[in-house]
Amino acid sequence: MGGLLPPAERRSSALLALYVALSMLLLMIGDRLPQPTLRGVGATLFAPLDRVVLVTDRVAAAWRENRELHTRLTRLELENARLRGVGSENDRLRDRLHLPRYQSLSLTPVEVLALTGEPIPAAATLSAGRDLGIEVGDAVVTSAGLVGRTSEVYGSSSRVVLLTDPNSAVACEVESTGVLGLAKFTTTPRPALLFTSVPFSDTVAVGQRVISSGLSRRYPRGIPVGTVRAVGRDPSGLVQRIELEPAARLSRLRHVFVVPGPERDEGRP
Amino acid sequence: MKGTTALILAIVVVLLLRSTALSAFAARGIVLDALAFATVLWALRHGASWGSSFGFALGLFADLDAAHWLGRHALALTLLGYAVGRLASILVRESSRTQFVLIFFATAAHQTWAVAFEFSNWSAWPHVLARVALASISSAVLGTAILWAARRLSGQPLFGHASVQPGRIY
Repeated sequence: MGGLLPPAERRSSALLALYVALSMLLLMIGDRLPQPTLRGVGATLFAPLDRVVLVTDRVAAAWRENRELHTRLTRLELENARLRGVGSENDRLRDRLHLPRYQSLSLTPVEVLALTGEPIPAAATLSAGRDLGIEVGDAVVTSAGLVGRTSEVYGSSSRVVLLTDPNSAVACEVESTGVLGLAKFTTTPRPALLFTSVPFSDTVAVGQRVISSGLSRRYPRGIPVGTVRAVGRDPSGLVQRIELEPAARLSRLRHVFVVPGPERDEGRP
Repeated sequence: MKGTTALILAIVVVLLLRSTALSAFAARGIVLDALAFATVLWALRHGASWGSSFGFALGLFADLDAAHWLGRHALALTLLGYAVGRLASILVRESSRTQFVLIFFATAAHQTWAVAFEFSNWSAWPHVLARVALASISSAVLGTAILWAARRLSGQPLFGHASVQPGRIY
């Protein structure tokens, strides 16, 4: 059969068969390959190129951002002064109740080099890794809220699983009422961040803020995750379907902060 | 050797674009399928062998970049590269209409295949359909416009004379 075809067509057919066979093989046994190592090599090779591509975009954005940040800094300094007073009052009250004091978060600023995943980015590459003391399991946040969690750490870069990865879940609570649930991203029937596992007996209202509860021991407590956008009935009929507006603007990630995970943070003085 | 270097360079450029500039659009719901566009372009210019090779290599790197399903993009882009490469010898490659249709269908096929791996609920099909349609239209419009602009700027055909076989040097 192959002999009937011209040599060029025979070669292209043979190549096609080879590539299809390889792709099928990878689909079947890909999970057994050392993917993190391969991705690590890729991330190391691509990190300098990503930095170059992003320079122009970053410089233009930096001017704009700088002006906005000055305004915000002044506003936050004023608010911080008020919160310091409330914080010391809270510490005194917790001491009287023999409850441990809240620890402030230790933040490591890093740059987002690349976002990956289709159609919605579900992972990000950060510009720092073991060189800045980042470890697997550290939380990643912006000033607005939770972004994700480091899943792989290399020498000078690391990989973050974003909240938009359908395989990641965050133990959360409603800030004002303490209603517990899980924040989980879904792509079906349409992409949305859901606050799941909330029974009908718990009242959740649109506009309420949802924060990490710290109960999963994966994320520190109190990081904003989102705001309730819609409340409905889950197709199973057993629990509520609550949609969240993510607190962090996941479509505009430039700089983020890495926060040590709760287990690592406990060893911190 | 020259062809391989160009292939590697093109793959690096496409992957960089995809993970930087285009990911910002994707996060806003506008998927511009750079992988399908680049594979169509390469296959139109260089024929079925190079088209499938480019599709496979580009897809493999894109798969490594994603967290799951190694081989997902590689398989789809290999088949796309081969199919477009074969069609390149019987189509008027310089025609904007041809390019629009090829990019549209290539994006639709690639996106449908990629989305199928996340598809766990049949009730999601209207949203999936809308997403694939939007990606196909936006990629085809932008892709055709880029090729048109490149042709106007260079002042010569991008894919050579219609009588010259893709990827063949006479």
